[in-house]
Amino acid sequence: MLNIRFLCLTVKDLKLIFSDGSGIIQPVLLGLILVFVFSLSTPIGEEVTAQAAASIFWLATSFALILVFNTLYSMEETNQARTGLLLSPMPLQHVWVSKALTGMLLLLLAQLFFFPAIIVFLGQENMAGWWTLLGVILLVDWGLVAVGSLLGAVSQGHAARDSLLSVVIFPLLIPLLLAGIRMGAHLLGGADDENLGAWGGIAFSFGAVFTGAAIVLFPFIYNEY
Amino acid sequence: MSDNSIMVRSIPALAVMGAAGLIIAQYFIWIYAPVEATMGIMQKIFYFHLPMAWWGLICFFVVFCASLVFLISKNPFMDRLSQAAAEMGLLYSALALATGSLWARAAWNTWWTWDPRLSTTLVMWFIYAGYLALRQSIDNPQKMRAVSAVLGVVAFLNVPLVFLSARMWRSIHPAVFGSKGGGLEPEMMTTVLVCIVAWGILTSGILFYRLRQLDIKDRVKNLFIF
Repeated sequence: MLNIRFLCLTVKDLKLIFSDGSGIIQPVLLGLILVFVFSLSTPIGEEVTAQAAASIFWLATSFALILVFNTLYSMEETNQARTGLLLSPMPLQHVWVSKALTGMLLLLLAQLFFFPAIIVFLGQENMAGWWTLLGVILLVDWGLVAVGSLLGAVSQGHAARDSLLSVVIFPLLIPLLLAGIRMGAHLLGGADDENLGAWGGIAFSFGAVFTGAAIVLFPFIYNEY
Repeated sequence: MSDNSIMVRSIPALAVMGAAGLIIAQYFIWIYAPVEATMGIMQKIFYFHLPMAWWGLICFFVVFCASLVFLISKNPFMDRLSQAAAEMGLLYSALALATGSLWARAAWNTWWTWDPRLSTTLVMWFIYAGYLALRQSIDNPQKMRAVSAVLGVVAFLNVPLVFLSARMWRSIHPAVFGSKGGGLEPEMMTTVLVCIVAWGILTSGILFYRLRQLDIKDRVKNLFIF
């Protein structure tokens, strides 16, 4: 039988996040500001290319990822409840799965706001294949939350945790972001990409590699020192 | 690591051999190897660029192996080895990027191009710069060692994906060691190999020296703790 005890942690985190809303408002606002500011870089009368729009979308998502996982891992720290999690009768990997699932839900929620912004501010109206688009977003988000949940705990207790996490995570995400940009550009009505399947393979491999690595390595990061 | 260890005693020998190797390499580069017909003297950059790129990547592989062993054994020596190798890898990849940029300007009339090898080197540079920044920012030494080891492992797992994705983006880099020799003259190939060996010996010497420094630093720190 599938052990779903980690869902208790997910529900607890979601309740705390939505109790005051700040944990989701900040990433959404930051992403929207990024989309708006990048829209200013296009001269009046010129169109933003599908590739540029996809890049801005995934950049906004990456910044949201940093804020989401900093919030998720700082909740126990703020309430001095991290030891409680460590003592709870479940493997530490469940903490990683739970945080990853919560992060995925919050990231999808943030992307729900980024998408209309891409259409309005960047003029992307030629989208094709909504279900494929959803599949691509879920595939890339899987890799993002796998890394975010693994390394989100790294910067806890550090004064400049947002900047530290950005410096550590962003370079790791590059292959995944390239895949997301190429697949996103194709689905936003950009030029055909004959390597679309291969880009999907890169995104899938990224998610699989980092999920496997996280299951093995997360206890080393989250343990009490 | 004790004063009598083979590694410490080998530092002066490696330094002398490395210096001698580099002097011999200069003969191969400037006298033995022919001047390339198209690029002329600028092609000589290649004899510095390639060994640095290779040894940079090897240093990052050492970080991966040492981090893995550290997570299993908790041996502080492995942590120090990871740090020393990451520093060397960062330095070499920075030099490889600088010389690669000079090459790109001479050969392709651009300072930078989206090439798999150049891009992978740059991404690795960013990752290991973040790795060293992380090491400096965590006060608890036990946590710092564990977290750094995890990052040292996942950073190298990313290399094939970075390379593949950069290659799919686009590439104009020449194949040096291709299936048919990559178009290098035999004299040029010999010179490249001499340079790789010379830089390898010097790299080992500097790596051991840095390890020795980090060992002494830890011992001094412990003196003040207790």
